[in-house]
Amino acid sequence: MEQKRYRPRLEILQGTLDMLILQTLQWGPQHGYAIGQTIRTESAESLKIETGSLYPALHRLEKQGWVKSDWGMTDQNQRAKFYKLTPKGKKQLLQERDRWSQLVSAIGTILNPKRTRS
Amino acid sequence: MNPFRWLLGRRRIDHDLDSEIRSHFAMAIAERIAAGEDPESARLAAINEFGNPLQAKEDARAVWRGGVVALVADVWQDVRFGVRMLVKNPAFSLVVIAVLSLGIAGNAAIFSLFKSIALKPLPGVRDSATSSVLLGRTIDGRGMGISVLDYRDLSAQQRSFESLTASMMIFATVGRGVDAQRVIAELVVGNYFETLGVTAQLGRILLPSDDVAPGQHPVAVIGDSLWRRSFAADPAIVGKTIHLNGYPLTVVGVAAPEFNGTIVSMGIDVFAPLMMQPQVWPPSRLDARGIFGLTTMGHLKPGVTTRAATAEAAIFASQLDAEHPIPNYARRLEVIPIWKSPFGAQTYWLPAIAVLGGMGLLILLVVCANVANLVLVRGVSRRGELGVRLALGASRARLLRLLFVENMVLALPGALSGVVLASVILPFIATGAAAAAPSRVYLDTSVDGYVLTFAVALSCACAIVFGFVPALRATRVELSSMLQDLSPRMASRGRLRSMLVVSQVAISLVLLIASALVLRSYAAAQQATGGFESANVTAIAIDLKTAGYDETRGPVAITRLLDAFDAEPAFEHAALATNVPMSLVDPGPRATNVEGYAPRSDEDMLFLYNIVSPQYFQTLRIPLLAGRDFTRTDDANAQPAVIVNETMARRFWQTPEDAIGKRLRSGTSEWRTVIGVARDVKYARLSEAPRPFVYYPILQTYAPGFVIHARTGGDLNDAMRRVRDHVQALDPAIPITLSRTLTEQTRVALSVYELAAGALTMFGVMTIVLAAIGIYGLVAYTVQQSTQEIGIRMAVGASRGDVVWNFLRRGAVLAAVGAGIGLILAAAASGAIRSLLYGVGARDVVSFGGGTAVVMTIAILASLVPAWRASRTDPLKALRHQ
Repeated sequence: MEQKRYRPRLEILQGTLDMLILQTLQWGPQHGYAIGQTIRTESAESLKIETGSLYPALHRLEKQGWVKSDWGMTDQNQRAKFYKLTPKGKKQLLQERDRWSQLVSAIGTILNPKRTRS
Repeated sequence: MNPFRWLLGRRRIDHDLDSEIRSHFAMAIAERIAAGEDPESARLAAINEFGNPLQAKEDARAVWRGGVVALVADVWQDVRFGVRMLVKNPAFSLVVIAVLSLGIAGNAAIFSLFKSIALKPLPGVRDSATSSVLLGRTIDGRGMGISVLDYRDLSAQQRSFESLTASMMIFATVGRGVDAQRVIAELVVGNYFETLGVTAQLGRILLPSDDVAPGQHPVAVIGDSLWRRSFAADPAIVGKTIHLNGYPLTVVGVAAPEFNGTIVSMGIDVFAPLMMQPQVWPPSRLDARGIFGLTTMGHLKPGVTTRAATAEAAIFASQLDAEHPIPNYARRLEVIPIWKSPFGAQTYWLPAIAVLGGMGLLILLVVCANVANLVLVRGVSRRGELGVRLALGASRARLLRLLFVENMVLALPGALSGVVLASVILPFIATGAAAAAPSRVYLDTSVDGYVLTFAVALSCACAIVFGFVPALRATRVELSSMLQDLSPRMASRGRLRSMLVVSQVAISLVLLIASALVLRSYAAAQQATGGFESANVTAIAIDLKTAGYDETRGPVAITRLLDAFDAEPAFEHAALATNVPMSLVDPGPRATNVEGYAPRSDEDMLFLYNIVSPQYFQTLRIPLLAGRDFTRTDDANAQPAVIVNETMARRFWQTPEDAIGKRLRSGTSEWRTVIGVARDVKYARLSEAPRPFVYYPILQTYAPGFVIHARTGGDLNDAMRRVRDHVQALDPAIPITLSRTLTEQTRVALSVYELAAGALTMFGVMTIVLAAIGIYGLVAYTVQQSTQEIGIRMAVGASRGDVVWNFLRRGAVLAAVGAGIGLILAAAASGAIRSLLYGVGARDVVSFGGGTAVVMTIAILASLVPAWRASRTDPLKALRHQ
């Protein structure tokens, strides 16, 4: 059987998935499937996420108290569990973003030393 | 967190997670269909995109739980799976459980014997297993008691024990006349009950105030067993009078139910103050330093070792020797743990238990090998399942744990049914031993926490042993090969199975040889005379003192009895004696002086003795080597006479003939002339070394309690009745405290052989059956695996004989290798059971040869059956089958 070929995608960095989920949720409550779709489209299809791995991450965030979950109905009348950012989660998102920018600039410094020197 | 509440909560979380993931797929598929894909490819794409749903669920679940809870839940899951597997393969499970429970039952039974002697030697006594004994030793190391006066000095001065207590064990009669019964009593010092931590279930215990001055407090505490046996658990027993050796004592209490005194294995029925000893068991032993009647015990202080305590005791010994010397004896005091104490069954039973325990563990190894074989076979059929589990990402550790839990699920029911089986077997062993014993035997062999813990620990060990090797193999297999080819490749596993079979044959041969050696010892011991002939002789004990006879009336009664026996035509000979030979316990020794002989200061001059009437040697058919027997004229008016045994004669006078006319005396009493020398007999045990022995004439040294031996040429039961009739005719008030044949009475000396032979035969049969199953299984399996090969061979012209021979050879070669190893092991190890052997060498050819023959025969028979079946294979069918 012929398999559908996918474009090679970037493996998501460990630990960044949590941040991406929090980021996605800051525009309002979402269910798991929508979160996955959002991350994928926003990254212009370049991130490879097994959507299954979203659920352990969501439960992890819920256990930390950064998100809250509630069952509700989608526009298509499908029962789904919606996750919502808590105030604690918002603070966490800010922290993670800070750390991320620091990480990016640090790595960038190493990878492009000439540009920073000039 | 409570794991069970978590397990309930887990249901809800699982349900929630399932719904969540289902709704995810519903949306994903719906969206793709809306975008124009067909439902099937939409579904596949959604699944593809999702990844591994099981993994996701497992990870999400893992978020919500702590480590321990997770483990408990996982193990619980494994247990449920294990139980399902067990129920699915009932035949396999039942065989494994049955085989295991046999192995564990044997071991649990031996362990509860061990417990009753070493772990809980004195039921009802606080921490009895860790208590110690202060005892004296003769020069050749025989343990003995301590005199009452020495004990008083020692207990006042010693610093090693928390508190020391002591008792004197005596055989006595309780009751009067025909109702009298023989019991064992302890005469105890005042602090006895307090020190042991024993309470009274009724009334009070004995107190220091009961043990102040000789004869002042005629009181007694009775044991639970006597209370129920003889007084129907009378709640008003306190205040009533019992007669101990005819002396009235007031019962002040009944001891706690489980308490049976402080002599391991002996059931003590009466406890009276030591100060009553002159009254209940005259003459007085309270103020003679040379009478070593007290057994002591107590707990050492924390941090004091038996070595330090012995050093302290040695100092007291030399002090006592200086202040109160005992003629011909230098005190040797020693402190030993109770399990080494010679007072009681410990030293007698522990070697036998050690041997039995060793055998038990061997048989358990055979059991494990057998079960391992079964598990291996099942392992083959489960390769597919395990392969799938590995492929799905289960770690090897996780699989090992699963297999271990499954094995535990098999092993635990085995352990429990084994314990039940043991508790069924044990009473038989215990009552057998009790029936043979001359007095009430008490061993707490009940199944309790100790035994249960042991059985469960043993079953865990089994689960590891029989499960680990197969499990390791099952999980080490190459994934790809397993998934591609589910048909088993047997080469390597066949080798492991062969090794298991070889070791089973080897171990069962070792056990068979051991049981053959012990069985032959038992047979030899039964044939052994011990130097006298016990057949057709009575052993009926009477007690004149209880019936009120004193030192003047007693000898008259004895003379009248002897007259009556002489006139009795049914008796060939009849005689009286105070001690019965081969009754397991040493009769008390007497310090003896030999005229003209100056013993070294450390020489053991304590000799065992018996007080006998004329015709004793003829009745028991003990030959006299020199001189003459006692006669009716050797009475109080004649010159004091004595007869010694051959060992004694040779030690002091070189030859039996030279001993005649020489003189000796007991302590400082009058000198007695040696008038005869009798051949040695076994005085207590078959295995004892020759030792000096002295016979005193009962007509010169009156003894109020004795055994009547009458030899008959006719019916022994008739003779028994006639002896009793003569006693009744003399005086109906004289109690008959024991009525047995001499053979019954000496049987007790064989009880260890009897028990060991019984247990080892059981083990031997079990292990040979197991080994046969093992060989049969292996050959049958090989035959099954080689159906195709057999087909080809037969198709190209092999005869049935060739096929049979081919498989028979495999079984025979394995058996021969196993037997060879077994022979070497048995030869190396048989020395270890020398203590149980009598009359056969540790390398007895008959036992070794017979054992080997039996093992080889059974091995060949076990492989013959499947080999023959192989030869019935229809070649065409076999070829088509593959």
